[in-house]
Amino acid sequence: MKRFIHHSELARDQRFVRQDNAPSTVLASLPDDVDTVVNVFDQFSDMIEKSVQGTAAEPLFDEYGPAFGLVTLNEPLQPGAPAERQRLAMRLHAIFVGELQALEGASRSLWDFPDAPWEFKMNMARQAWDEARHVQIFEKLMDHVGCKTGDYPESTFLFECACSEDPALRVAGVNRGLEGLACDVFRDLIRFAEQLGDELMKQAMDYVLADELTHVRFGSEWVKEFTRGDPERFKRAQDFRRQVDKQFSLGGARSDREDAAVPIAMQDRREAGFTEEELRELTQLSGGGPSRKTLTAATKIIRERHLARRAEQREQTQEATA
Amino acid sequence: MSEQRMYPGTGPDERTTFAPYSAFEIPADLRELHGHYDVESMARRVRNFRYAEEWSMMILGGWIATIPELPVKTGLGKIVWDAAQAADVLGKRLPELRCGRKSVDASESPNDGFAGFVQAVAEPETPDLTIEKLAGMFDVLKPHLIEVYERTARETDYISDAPTIELLEDIVRKARRHQAWAAEVLDRLCDTDARQQRRRARAAELTRQLEACGGVAGDLGIANA
Repeated sequence: MKRFIHHSELARDQRFVRQDNAPSTVLASLPDDVDTVVNVFDQFSDMIEKSVQGTAAEPLFDEYGPAFGLVTLNEPLQPGAPAERQRLAMRLHAIFVGELQALEGASRSLWDFPDAPWEFKMNMARQAWDEARHVQIFEKLMDHVGCKTGDYPESTFLFECACSEDPALRVAGVNRGLEGLACDVFRDLIRFAEQLGDELMKQAMDYVLADELTHVRFGSEWVKEFTRGDPERFKRAQDFRRQVDKQFSLGGARSDREDAAVPIAMQDRREAGFTEEELRELTQLSGGGPSRKTLTAATKIIRERHLARRAEQREQTQEATA
Repeated sequence: MSEQRMYPGTGPDERTTFAPYSAFEIPADLRELHGHYDVESMARRVRNFRYAEEWSMMILGGWIATIPELPVKTGLGKIVWDAAQAADVLGKRLPELRCGRKSVDASESPNDGFAGFVQAVAEPETPDLTIEKLAGMFDVLKPHLIEVYERTARETDYISDAPTIELLEDIVRKARRHQAWAAEVLDRLCDTDARQQRRRARAAELTRQLEACGGVAGDLGIANA
């Protein structure tokens, strides 16, 4: 078995549909400008349409066009909000595939770095079990809200961004970047479950969040250990973590901004070993994407263009039939 | 009535008043001293066992991303952790067997043949080879480890080497659970004659290789080694 695999090689059963990672990558670097956002999503329209065919996201694409993801990403989850159930299902499905990739990332570290210290292997093995349980938990939670595996396309963006071939960078990406994002998302879902009065979801998230803090701590400790006495490598690891954090901020959807859909879980991150300086940096770099106002305006234009294209296609079909 | 003497003194008439109580011998301790392995040879075996557990953990960890069946991915996640714990407790036994404080992460293949066998187990890679992956690990390597661990626990000194016996018994208990799980998965996956044949062929090929190298401790087939 070779060391290091490409994200396209992550094995899945026939229920899964894969989504190209390009839109997620581009979304991470979009400026706060309506025209740019519109043009980018127009450009990816065919690719996004293809990836949602036959999934539960197809009706959303029909209704909103290629920026349907922004509709769900852009607004915080609130009980009673429009399409609350579908947005919750999409979010749980996204976390489910994220947990799957975290399982694959942690367990691959055991094979990819055979000469790593034993304690590192123990930590990664423990994380593999934790992530496997998280996958099982999210399968149950998806069932709880009436959603199932493969309902939405899977982007392998998280694995692609986080899985470096240098173990110091891998733990910076997976354990600090990806797992840090998980802390933010789970804290937000605990808040939502509390508002909803959903004790089952709240308790499950509470346990998962506790595990994630442990995984971030693994990352904090191993970045230090792998880069001990090597300031250049430490800098590379920190730069990599910043890059991953920027990408995982999803254009500001996860940030400390007032209009963020997922706020940064500052207290949980402190407990997990993030320093105040790192948190300040995260606040800065995650807050730079398009504002909610920009995304709302862009989504409206993208939707109008999409509906116009659909109407034109219908007319052409009718003419051809006549 | 003379005062009860709680502790023995130095003279023969200064004994305590506590009578030897025969119930202490029930059940009788039938264990005998002297096992098949001295400290040095047991330490070598523990390093060999640790080698097998550490590599099992790494191989299974590598496979998780390459296996498409979701319950197999998640099931292996737990087994990866159990294998890591097994390697860890085996390593912690090494300093107790006079291998030095730094020996806790020492793993050692008994010979090049077994190291080659482990690499052969790890070989299947693509997503269409779940049967070959699981057959190598759970039809050949793990049952072999269980057999050798149990034999080692039976043959070592029951009293002097009890800590090794205890940890091997714990590892075996979990390994049997893994084997039962994998047997169920493999039975389900091998639902045609052709797939059953793939499983048998893979197991037969690796069993030959395992026997040729003498197994995890290098003494397979050597009478009462």
